[in-house]
Amino acid sequence: MSLPATTPRARAEAPGVHARRLWSLRPRSDRQSGDAIVSNFLLHWFPAKVERSSLDWSYSFWLGTVSAALLLLLVLSGGPLLFLYVPSVERAYGSVKDIEYAITFGSWIRAVHRFAAHLMVAAVFLHLVRVFLTGAYKNGVGQGQHREWNWVIGVVMLLLTLFLSFTGYLLPWDQLAFWAVTVGTNIASSIPWIGPSIRELLIGGRGIDQPTLIRFYALHVIVLPAALGALFAYHMWRVRKDGGLARADRASVLPAPVASPASTTKTYALLGVARGTSPAVRTTTLEAADATVNAVPDLTRRTAIVVLGTFAVLSIMAALMRSPLEEAANALVTPNPAKAPWYFLWLQEIVTDTTIRLGTFTINGAFLGGVLLPGVLVGLLTAWPWIDRSPGAAAGSWFPRTRRAQNLVFLGVVAVVLILTLVGTFMRGPYWHLYWPWETWPEIPTRL
Amino acid sequence: MGEPQNRRDFLLTLGTGAGIAALGYQGAASLRSLVPNVSYDAPTTVKVGLPAEFPDGLKFLPDQRLFIFREGTVFHAISAVCTHLGCTVRAEALSNPEARTVDGKALRLTHRFLCPCHGSKYTGDGGNVSGPAPRPLAWYHLSLASDDGQLVVDLANEVGHDFRLTTA
Ligand code: FES
Repeated sequence: MSLPATTPRARAEAPGVHARRLWSLRPRSDRQSGDAIVSNFLLHWFPAKVERSSLDWSYSFWLGTVSAALLLLLVLSGGPLLFLYVPSVERAYGSVKDIEYAITFGSWIRAVHRFAAHLMVAAVFLHLVRVFLTGAYKNGVGQGQHREWNWVIGVVMLLLTLFLSFTGYLLPWDQLAFWAVTVGTNIASSIPWIGPSIRELLIGGRGIDQPTLIRFYALHVIVLPAALGALFAYHMWRVRKDGGLARADRASVLPAPVASPASTTKTYALLGVARGTSPAVRTTTLEAADATVNAVPDLTRRTAIVVLGTFAVLSIMAALMRSPLEEAANALVTPNPAKAPWYFLWLQEIVTDTTIRLGTFTINGAFLGGVLLPGVLVGLLTAWPWIDRSPGAAAGSWFPRTRRAQNLVFLGVVAVVLILTLVGTFMRGPYWHLYWPWETWPEIPTRL
Repeated sequence: MGEPQNRRDFLLTLGTGAGIAALGYQGAASLRSLVPNVSYDAPTTVKVGLPAEFPDGLKFLPDQRLFIFREGTVFHAISAVCTHLGCTVRAEALSNPEARTVDGKALRLTHRFLCPCHGSKYTGDGGNVSGPAPRPLAWYHLSLASDDGQLVVDLANEVGHDFRLTTA
């Protein structure tokens, strides 16, 4: 008969004493899984307990996690490319060609990088759509929530993702790249007054040349990833501060939280959040035992499944599919038709149709469709949490009645963007003429 | 700021202000350094060859992204840069050339120009007829070099659509 305190097991359970130096995959008690969080730096992103319903596959589709996994994959596959790619107009194309055809596993690494970039644009966009449709930018019952700011950060991260993809698009210095940058930077220069200076700042001169390539390279490998990484860290921290997914507050909406007056016999310093002079203590907490599970292993297991699954899908895709490399950049010949990358095709379609003529006065479609309209869309997206007047209870579920109108309008805009993208992809032929997808394009007349 | 400040507040204001000024100035300097003062672009005045080397009709000069149009002794130069977003337009020969007077001068239009990026169309003299292009294609000043008689095009000097260079 021994005293419990002397067994090694019990010693490990003592507060502040961690059973293992490294993080445990198989915690044997609630206590251990709690300790696993405390002792693991990475897991500071995760709460000790999570709302069971917010782990549902069909609520969030785990799109944010997929985006993060793709970002991780982009960093990992970007590493070797950093050693192989030469950012010089004479050698860039050749070095990409080497990566594609001469280097062992080169084409696979490039394909992983390229597909992950394309998929990340899609995943981040779908994540935004999901968050909008579930009203997850709305604050619920928790104290000190600022979900609206996390939404704004998210919008900025979407823009950074697009910009990262676009700057990477230029680096192979092939025909696609060259003309995409020509059109892209000319859109910037269509802004009245300051436009030409912005273009000059972007391309580092009057023509697209070595200064342009090195600028886009620096943006692609340092500036934008650093910005995205910093915002990503903040985004995750904010999710944690706001009490997890919006769905988690929903579960505690029904028994409304009541603030009870501070008791003089107990200290609430760590339990409540001080507002005014007295701490407000909620009687209903998110950690109600029946609705929650331990983050380790329930949350970590699912996260691992999503991350590894994304990696697996990407690796297989990259092994099966080739990534294209057009002819080397040629400032003299524009490919016909010259198409933007798919995620900008809807904009290309819009700049095609938005030149406005009033008598002799003309506004270039580049400004209306390339700057003004996307600017208005991004502005609306950013401001939406403050425009949305639906009740807080509408947050965290799909298509609630109170948000039906705004969800429909949003879906309408998404549908227009998708349709324009499809038109640009499948229905635009030489000289940007419209063709049905099943029609063959005519012979392109030989150029002079 | 009628209140007298104590030394601590004053130093705090001073320090913060100096910090902001320093950061602002360094930020501005870093940004300014990215705006090029010197640009090593191709020269804007280029010799493109002897007039006799040009065929009647249209010739494309890829390096200058320029079309030279010749009709007997008359020359003019049309830019191949689409005025919408800067793609290079392609010339398409018309099956039956069209006679036109442009700004009071006779002109035979043998081609039209089409843009592969967003489908702008231009007439043979560079006028924009459809698509998103907001302006006609630019015409550039042509002259003859005094030393060797070559055609000289000045890409920095845009001229009206009635400009012609008549060689002897
Ligand atoms: S660049 Fe020529 S139509 Fe847009």
